[in-house]
Amino acid sequence: MKFIWKSLVSVVLVFLLLVGCSTEKDNQTEGKIVVVATTGMIGDLVENIGGEHVEVTSLMGPGVDPHLYKATQGDVKTLDEADMILYNGLHLEGKMEEIFEQMGKQKPTIAVTQDIAKENLHEVKVGEYDPHIWFDVTLWMQAAHTVNKALIKENPEHQESYQKNYEAYIKKLEELHKYVQSEINTIPESQRVLVTAHDAFGYFGAAYGLEVKGLQGMNTVSEYGSKDVIDLRNYLIKNEIKAIFIETSVSKKAIEAVIQGAKKQGHTVKIGGELFSDAMGEKGTEKGTYLGMVRHNTDTIVNALK
Amino acid sequence: MNDFWIILVGALVACSCSVVGCFLVIRKIAMVGDAISHSVLPGIVLAFLWSGSRESILILMGAALLGLVTVFLIQLFQNSGVQGDAAIGVVFTSLFTIGVLLVSLYTQQIDFDLDHVLYGEIAYTPWHTMTIAGMDMGPRAVWIVGGSFFINIVLVFVFFKQFKICSFDAALAAAMGIPVMFFHYLLMSLVSVTTVAAFDSVGAILVVGMLIIPAATAYSLTDQLHRMIIISMVMGILSSVVGYYVATALDASISGCMVCVAALFFTLAFLFSPSHGLISRIWRRKVSFKSI
Repeated sequence: MKFIWKSLVSVVLVFLLLVGCSTEKDNQTEGKIVVVATTGMIGDLVENIGGEHVEVTSLMGPGVDPHLYKATQGDVKTLDEADMILYNGLHLEGKMEEIFEQMGKQKPTIAVTQDIAKENLHEVKVGEYDPHIWFDVTLWMQAAHTVNKALIKENPEHQESYQKNYEAYIKKLEELHKYVQSEINTIPESQRVLVTAHDAFGYFGAAYGLEVKGLQGMNTVSEYGSKDVIDLRNYLIKNEIKAIFIETSVSKKAIEAVIQGAKKQGHTVKIGGELFSDAMGEKGTEKGTYLGMVRHNTDTIVNALK
Repeated sequence: MNDFWIILVGALVACSCSVVGCFLVIRKIAMVGDAISHSVLPGIVLAFLWSGSRESILILMGAALLGLVTVFLIQLFQNSGVQGDAAIGVVFTSLFTIGVLLVSLYTQQIDFDLDHVLYGEIAYTPWHTMTIAGMDMGPRAVWIVGGSFFINIVLVFVFFKQFKICSFDAALAAAMGIPVMFFHYLLMSLVSVTTVAAFDSVGAILVVGMLIIPAATAYSLTDQLHRMIIISMVMGILSSVVGYYVATALDASISGCMVCVAALFFTLAFLFSPSHGLISRIWRRKVSFKSI
């Protein structure tokens, strides 16, 4: 037994020693405020409004499905050094949101959807709302307003700069909104149906007058049933839909099953292209920005359905 | 300080799982932990449907209830002569599929799955603090997992002899007048509470890994149960500390690295254990061959 106690004590000592050695270093960011955003979309928004006064890190990179996101050790440091944390809310980040609410005691943590009136949100079950608000550009403008307010509150000395950037960006969003609407209007009315793998485009459809059909529901984990595949196939044939779409962050197997099914019934459906749903494209490219991503989705949809 | 809390939570999970994990390894039902990690699904769906909220305490209660149902059913089937692994397989797949059915019938439209609602993430434990009467008491996970560790260690310490005899030779235990069934159910309840509490704090893989791997490592290093428990706890703590720094170096998932390090320790023990290791066995066989 003595040997065991000695080994136990030494393990505890090693444990304390190792932990003690890792002193925490502070990163100097030259007067910039450090903002951590969960999704790339929110990161992009903060970059546009914060400009040179803000250092932004997005936890979820390009192509990452927020429903399946796994934290790494680096995230601990990132979150710890942040001056402010911005997240989507409405359960997009799942259990992480509980943590963000707790962290609110130490630093500002803000859900960008917090100021959107409940009647503008899609309620899918009592008290549960569709979190994919970024595809309705007008709702995203409200998120931009929330971000602007939060930045000014945290860092009032650069208020003018934030306000200026915010107003400039809102102009761009308004243009984008008009662009999407006018483009979608060029699709013949009977063809304005958007069929994708999972229901991320509810707001997009409602805002711009497209009917949206998803195969999988909002949850990317729950399996689709064979009845879902057959129903969707029959729907495509009946309404003579030309194209359906795949998403960068969801598997395309299910959608291919539907296409094959329709083909056997003598109706040809093509894959209209790849849409960005829960994540943006690579950073540094056109599709790696919110504006570019929405444009890409719109153009892809219009080209395939026109 | 964050590093300290995360490693401490990892070490506490490892210790609290090892204490019960050793008995599971001896009784050859180590996969019970994995079974619970899936079979709690109907519990959390029902808790959610019933209360209409994602409040973690309600979800946790639903999960704990189903965890108990799982272990009781497994024990019940095993008592009636079903093989241990078959009992685990039957109970866990049927309960899990009931959960999947409930999800597809009632919560299809929203994000609702184990990852989203039940499984925690060890990386975030330092910020999920507990406040009692306005006082910050430190991370909630330390209290929850620490509490289950305390219960485990006290009960195993007090009833060590009973647990030991029941696990190795139930017939002998019954002949000695020990209520075998009671201790089987007690142990299984401890397993259930330990795992469910830890799922909420650190997620599934770390718990399932720490329930089995350190215990299996210790099993190949000693023949005595009390040593096995202590060695597996030491292995668990080491895995937690080393795993955390591996995760830092690689910028990877913390629980993933901790379990990988535990698996590495197992491999080393499997190969080089002086009494049961592969290499020493080959060596001994050679020696005895020569002597003939």
